[in-house]
Amino acid sequence: MTERARPPLPPLPPLPEDETRTLERAAPRPEPVQRRERRRRAVDDGPSRRQWSAGHALVVCVLALAIGLLLNAPGAHKSAYNRPAGWKRDVALALTGPLAGVSHALLLDRPRKGVQAAIGRSGEDGIDTKIALPSTPVQPTAPVRSAGTTPSPAKPAVSTKPDTPAQPRKTAFTPTHKLRIWIAGDSLVITPGYAIVRAAGATPVIESVGGVDGRVATGLTRPDVFNWFEEIRARVKELHPTVVVLDFGGNDDKAYMTGLPDGVTIDDFGGSVWRREYARRVGGVMDVINRAGAFVVWVGLPQTSSADQTARFDVVNAVVEKQARKRPGRAAYVDTYRLFAGEDGGYTQYMKDLSGKLVQVRAGDGVHFEREGGDMIAREVLKVLNREFDLTSWRRKSR
Amino acid sequence: MLFPTATFAIFFLVVLPLSWLTMPWPHRWRPFIIAASYVFYSWWDWRFVFLLAGCTLWNQVLAVRIWRSTVQAQRRALLILALAGDLGVLGYFKYYDFFVSSGDNLASYAGLDLPLSLKTIVLPVGISFFTFMAISYVVDAYRGDFQPTTLEKFAVYLSFFPHLVAGPIVRPGELIPQIETPRDPRRVDTSRAFYLIATGLFKKVVIANYLASSIVDQVFAAPGQHSSLEILVAVYAYAVQIYADFSGYTDIAIGIALLLGFQFPQNFDSPYAAVSVQDFWRRWHMTLSRWLRDYVYIPFGGNRRGRLNTYRNLMLTMLIGGLWHGAAWTFVVWGGLHGSALVYERWKQERRGGAEPRETAWTRWRARFLTFQFVCLAWIFFRADSFAAARDMIEGLFTGWGQPSPLVTGGVLLAIAVGIGSQYLPPRIPRLVMARFSRLPVLGQATVLALALMLTSVMGPEGVAPFIYFQF
Repeated sequence: MTERARPPLPPLPPLPEDETRTLERAAPRPEPVQRRERRRRAVDDGPSRRQWSAGHALVVCVLALAIGLLLNAPGAHKSAYNRPAGWKRDVALALTGPLAGVSHALLLDRPRKGVQAAIGRSGEDGIDTKIALPSTPVQPTAPVRSAGTTPSPAKPAVSTKPDTPAQPRKTAFTPTHKLRIWIAGDSLVITPGYAIVRAAGATPVIESVGGVDGRVATGLTRPDVFNWFEEIRARVKELHPTVVVLDFGGNDDKAYMTGLPDGVTIDDFGGSVWRREYARRVGGVMDVINRAGAFVVWVGLPQTSSADQTARFDVVNAVVEKQARKRPGRAAYVDTYRLFAGEDGGYTQYMKDLSGKLVQVRAGDGVHFEREGGDMIAREVLKVLNREFDLTSWRRKSR
Repeated sequence: MLFPTATFAIFFLVVLPLSWLTMPWPHRWRPFIIAASYVFYSWWDWRFVFLLAGCTLWNQVLAVRIWRSTVQAQRRALLILALAGDLGVLGYFKYYDFFVSSGDNLASYAGLDLPLSLKTIVLPVGISFFTFMAISYVVDAYRGDFQPTTLEKFAVYLSFFPHLVAGPIVRPGELIPQIETPRDPRRVDTSRAFYLIATGLFKKVVIANYLASSIVDQVFAAPGQHSSLEILVAVYAYAVQIYADFSGYTDIAIGIALLLGFQFPQNFDSPYAAVSVQDFWRRWHMTLSRWLRDYVYIPFGGNRRGRLNTYRNLMLTMLIGGLWHGAAWTFVVWGGLHGSALVYERWKQERRGGAEPRETAWTRWRARFLTFQFVCLAWIFFRADSFAAARDMIEGLFTGWGQPSPLVTGGVLLAIAVGIGSQYLPPRIPRLVMARFSRLPVLGQATVLALALMLTSVMGPEGVAPFIYFQF
């Protein structure tokens, strides 16, 4: 590198004129203060750092990771268990299993457990694959939408003029007796979920309860990663929702499942055994919610920028749609595949919004949604709610 | 490959000894570190390795030709060509859809139909960072500040994995001389490296992720559903989250580079202790702000062409800085707010005739408080995914007082307090910690680090959230 004769640089700008100078430091100081400052700095600097060799750095790295692995062995084992199926998971399990045993025998897992207990997160290292589903579905003659199931002490106002005599009466909701909506699912539910929450906030008859329970990299095939079956059962019992909006399946497009009943083995994704088992889980979740008196709105999977993934999502969607159709009046399926189809029927990242403005509806990863895409799904969900429930008659009565 | 993952730990445990073993033979070390960096980069998407290689080749060829050329017009033409290539690549991958959709919307207001179609373009991770570093290299060659080096050394400079995906933006004069001289394996500042890695991991995995999942994401997604107190706390929480996230990443990057024997420039210096917006930019993402100063503000004319031109240059620099962060108008507004504040401070300074105001503890703390409030207000536009969302956030700050605020928990307030309080930590405390750590025996150092890893692992939320600055 050689320095060349260079033109003089202009005076430094007022932006970051001098990286080390702050206004405080810039203030002029008398000489004795500077001397005092030097002395103070000498004291502040304290003992100097010892420099070590590269070999030392490597040994410390290896030892720290080894000790850290022993201290974190239960967590590492759980992470290994939760990995996607394949040789990496097998290797990770083969390594972390014995490691967790050694850590436990040497009491090295105690600090981790102690910290977990101190911050109220005991039991996080447990692996739970139990799936508890109702053995019999809700009777098809009892649609949830007319059941008036909310725990509110106020009596539900029922619409007196149904559209046609053949249709069952819709449960009516008013600003004093609100429709309670809970939203849950994998990462795909997060953006549409908050759009639904915003839409709910704009109407006086819908109340969001429990926020949006969106958990990244979870689904119904891997209760070991996150046990949605227990979560849903517990949350509907706690929140008493009238409607539960679910969006699952984005991580379920794989052959591997945990929590299988005895004697069931799955060889391939989308095969008859896979479909039967996935249908059991989807239907079971719907039944758990229906038994708690709530209606299910299941948001289907959209097409993605990957044709292979879209094909796999089609398989998941087919199972879910069929299960929803089996439960008229208790579950509805929102088809996002067509909703987000471009002009050629395929994947598109941009669409026109209601005002005709071109907006980005899908995230850069080609799978998730942008805010405007979430708003589109929220509108579809509200359409379903308006179809299944009476959300408007209170306006006529209040006039 | 994210830093806080087992995959990276394994990768680094392989690279660290091999790097030091090959270090005495630069002709072996350089291909090795290039290969390692390309493996690191290809973990996201192997196809973008070709983009990185192409960017390296393009800038090297043109920088050498610029340096060799003695005809000023030719040098200038070559510089424009190099910049057009770099900015063209950046524009295509990062801004194509943004400009087309913005143009389409503008045209539709006028009743026109643009013939351009949108593409689904995947943004290569780190493109904003390595493009800026490549521009530094070419511009420095043009200015005569730095003689282009060999292709191999330039490839190491541009692809060196600790800085590759999210900076710091290292200048050729800082890194290439280090690449040219083998590092001394007997003197490695391990205590500073381990301190930076451990604190960086804690900042990212515990503080940033906790605040994101506990309050920030929920409130910014649906501000209308939250109380004014929750919105206010979420804004402060986001300020801490983005600091912890980004400074955590650069701390880890600097620490990893140190373990490999390389010094990177400092990127953060307690930005929330700034006493003015100008001071904030001397402390926040310092390598970007000096890049903008040297390669945008000064070429625009800096402060040499009168007061109004200085204001214009400041504003343009900050608008470009805003757009660099993301292809959305909200980022432009964020840059514009900072630009306006810098112009205002400059104007005020000029009215005083350049004299510094009398400073007391009270005025200093008041300046810090006001600067922090302004920075937080601007962060709303940075974080919000649309103007409507930003408007809802600002409206919500005033309209929902007295409502229940379940998201404002002790944990959230503690994390914010730790994040802001750490900015006021006297520098002697980390120095003392590092010095004490450096005097521990090997096993002691390893145990302290292992305990730090365990605490970070237990206290952080499950899973690894991507770093915010990866998207830029």
